[in-house]
Amino acid sequence: MAENNDIQEGFLCPICHKDMRSPNNLITHFQDLHSEEQEFLKSIKEVYGKAKKKILKLDEQDIQNFKELTLNKYHIEYSEPQDPDRLLRTFGSDRKQQEQELVAWLDGSTVTRCPSCASSFNIARRQHHCRLCGCIMCNSCSYFLPYDVAQTIVAPVTNVSDREHSGKETDSLRTCVHCLNMLESRRKVQIEQMKKPTIWHLYLLLQSNKKQIQSSVDLYNKMYNSLTAGETTFLLQDVQALRLSIAEKAQMIETLGKKIASEPIDPEMPKAVLLQNNIWKATSNYIKDSLLTLPAPPTVQELEKIRERFSRMFQDDLPPQSAPAVKKVTVTTGWSPANISNDAIKGDQDDNPLIEQMNIVRNYITQARQAHRFEEVASLEENLRMLKETYRKQLKS
Amino acid sequence: MNVIAAIKAYVVKMTSDSEPGMKVLLMDKETTSVVSMVYGQSEIQQKEVFLLERIDSPNYANSSGLRYLKCLVFLRPTQQNIELLCTELRNPKYGAYYIYFSNIVAKADIKILAENDEQEVVKEVQELYMDYLAVNPHLFSMGIPMCLSSTASEITWNHSALQRTIQGLISVLLSLKKSPIIRYQSNSKLARDLGNRIDETMNKESSLFAFGPSGQSLLLILDRRDDPITPLLNQWTYQAMVHELLTINNNRVNLSGIPGISKDLPEVVLSAEQDAFYAKNIFMNYGEIGQNIKQLMDQFQAKAKSHQKIESIADMKNFVDSYPQFKKLSGNVTKHVTVVGELSSMVNKHHLLDVSEVEQEISSQNDHSAHLASIKKLLHNDKIRHTDAAKLVMLYALRYQNQSNNELSSLIDLLYKRGVSDKLIKYIIYLLEYAGSHARQSNLFNVENAVKITKRFFKGLSGVDNVYTQHKPLLHDTLEDLIKGRLKDNLYPVVGNHSSGLRSQDVIVFIIGGATYEESLAVHTFNKNYPNFNILLGATNIHNSTSFLEEVENAFRGVDMLIRRHTRHIRNVKFDTK
Repeated sequence: MAENNDIQEGFLCPICHKDMRSPNNLITHFQDLHSEEQEFLKSIKEVYGKAKKKILKLDEQDIQNFKELTLNKYHIEYSEPQDPDRLLRTFGSDRKQQEQELVAWLDGSTVTRCPSCASSFNIARRQHHCRLCGCIMCNSCSYFLPYDVAQTIVAPVTNVSDREHSGKETDSLRTCVHCLNMLESRRKVQIEQMKKPTIWHLYLLLQSNKKQIQSSVDLYNKMYNSLTAGETTFLLQDVQALRLSIAEKAQMIETLGKKIASEPIDPEMPKAVLLQNNIWKATSNYIKDSLLTLPAPPTVQELEKIRERFSRMFQDDLPPQSAPAVKKVTVTTGWSPANISNDAIKGDQDDNPLIEQMNIVRNYITQARQAHRFEEVASLEENLRMLKETYRKQLKS
Repeated sequence: MNVIAAIKAYVVKMTSDSEPGMKVLLMDKETTSVVSMVYGQSEIQQKEVFLLERIDSPNYANSSGLRYLKCLVFLRPTQQNIELLCTELRNPKYGAYYIYFSNIVAKADIKILAENDEQEVVKEVQELYMDYLAVNPHLFSMGIPMCLSSTASEITWNHSALQRTIQGLISVLLSLKKSPIIRYQSNSKLARDLGNRIDETMNKESSLFAFGPSGQSLLLILDRRDDPITPLLNQWTYQAMVHELLTINNNRVNLSGIPGISKDLPEVVLSAEQDAFYAKNIFMNYGEIGQNIKQLMDQFQAKAKSHQKIESIADMKNFVDSYPQFKKLSGNVTKHVTVVGELSSMVNKHHLLDVSEVEQEISSQNDHSAHLASIKKLLHNDKIRHTDAAKLVMLYALRYQNQSNNELSSLIDLLYKRGVSDKLIKYIIYLLEYAGSHARQSNLFNVENAVKITKRFFKGLSGVDNVYTQHKPLLHDTLEDLIKGRLKDNLYPVVGNHSSGLRSQDVIVFIIGGATYEESLAVHTFNKNYPNFNILLGATNIHNSTSFLEEVENAFRGVDMLIRRHTRHIRNVKFDTK
């Protein structure tokens, strides 16, 4: 404890610091010796009262609002969410009571000394209460939380526009050192959380790329299976194109992973090394296990063989069915036939709506292919085939 | 009722509930083994968990943190862990905390945590009931190697082991969403105590156990003492054999102590979840494994050969394409070839086939003089390991304990003459005290005989019975009785006022004192043969003969063996006065 400050105990005269040993002695001493100083004391009191009044005028709603928010966070036991309207209406002289309704103030009657500096309370050193936790301290142990700082702490407050008290920046809240420390450490945490290192951003990029690639991989597997099962829904060139784009993405992921691994390291954070290496390891594992293991698409010759085998099987099994006379083109995508060139439609075929229809679908297909939307290409191809079938039949009849 | 799937689902929940981002997983010693039983490090990395930390490691408190990481905390709700977690929350090392407890956590503890969460870093607190080790889909363990202690008159639970077992079993039930009727082996105080305590907890937490009709099931609590034979036998199926000869610990086999093994393989992981070859061969017997491993080698060699002739660019491309698979395969092949090679060298060196044949005969046939002669013959063979010799005498001691012309004393003399250590010979006494005929309620040997002989007669005709796998664990008979509704109420009473008449298709069998992989195999075949039933086996530990005998010895630690109750007549084993 601060012993060099000569802490005195007993019934001290606030002016000459003599120990008078009993309350009665102190009173007589004061009246005898310091009566001429009464005037001075009175003036002090007046100044004090003025200050008090000034504090009183602190915008009531704001202080309550602020407290309500902080209290909800820190002192759930004490806080009773209050109706802001009611707070507005009760204004003025019972301010102290309102504050105490939010934070129960410690009963000061048994506290004779400041808990943090151990000086005893008297007329000159009065008891003060922390507005956040209600504990007691003296003026010199009090800290003041400037009003605007308090506002930034509760920054996510929704009613920023409601604030009509711009002139009160100089106001502040009296707090104890503990509450101030807690607020301070909390603020630090918030700041640190806002501050994201490069690796964090790189990782975010890596993940979003991974997500994209995963959907491509799923599509690729579907297309590959359909292709090797002898179906003609997807075209070989599409499959190859998709594989190429997956490979490109894989390269991208790899570079990102390497970049994360080689990111310069803060010497105070040995864990970061491990983290970065592990991210790289996981990325390369992912590439190895899910991307490099993708089966290569069959070559043209292989594909022909597969198709031949299946078509033979198909013919053996079922007699050729008459194609269903479905003509409907289901266009679920947002492509418009806007850029169909009119030259595509030639001369005497003009009058046949089927030809026109087929040309439109062909156009859709090229557009869809450019956008790598192979599932749509597949369904459009199916439509085109049906159209051709019907067209052929029409010609025969 | 698949415990591996249950744990996996929980881990997935844990990693997906906490939103995307880089994560660190903070665990304690026990939860680390829970997770590592089902997930390898590379798998968990794919779930964005890039760092693993132990909260109870001594330098954790002083290590630095990374604020941009999310921290998944997965701990058992013990007092010590709560305290450690409080310290952590007061000075958080990471940005956000998602706390998962492996069991029911007290409200008071949650309150303490909330009070210490000054900086509001905790985003979530949940109970994920995975307080047990999932070994196989139908097998779980508590990982308690020693669960018994004893007073002067009887064997009792070690207090902390009982607590741990209760917690573990409760979490098994909760994770599988079962609120079972409990039956226990009536002659075992251990089983009765455990049954009552489980029932108590279920009543206390009745809101958690309100699963409705889908929760209907049976928990059957058995005592290892009813069948001390099974853990003593040499095993011939892959998993059981590796455990008996090399010891599996949390899916890991330590090879570092074996001479002539390359330095790159100090430890191999045998997990059916990650290793297809192991998964396929886990219940295959020794002969079949040999064939399968040869196939694996051939496959590998064919692949390797095709890689050798890289001439054209197309070859090169093919090689690069298939290289990751190749490398994976190569690692797997090396692993299994090493393990199987080690097994077979041990089998040959120690004449385990001869030993096993005698073991099997003693355990499943009744021919005193012939057995005595073959044991004596093996005891004179100095190729046989001392442990195997001692185990043969143990089997004899249990098998013919009440035979009038019992020659145990002379066999013990033979062991002394061989130079078998005192420790091993004392095991014989411990074992008889632990599970002699006084402690068993089922007749381990005689009842089976009539049935078995006729069975063997038929099997002998078809010639398929394997001499090394004649023995069927007692559990097999118990389960058969249970399924056919013949399990007697007086031998396996019900806890509480429930009726035992209710037959449930979901059965959880729990063996106090440890189960074996032979029993796991029995349960596996049962599930296959009776697809309507779903049997799950659990135990305080998965034993091999060494760990089983250690547990038995440990149970008598601190008891004066001079005043033995059941083996006073065996005079030639000397115990020191305490």
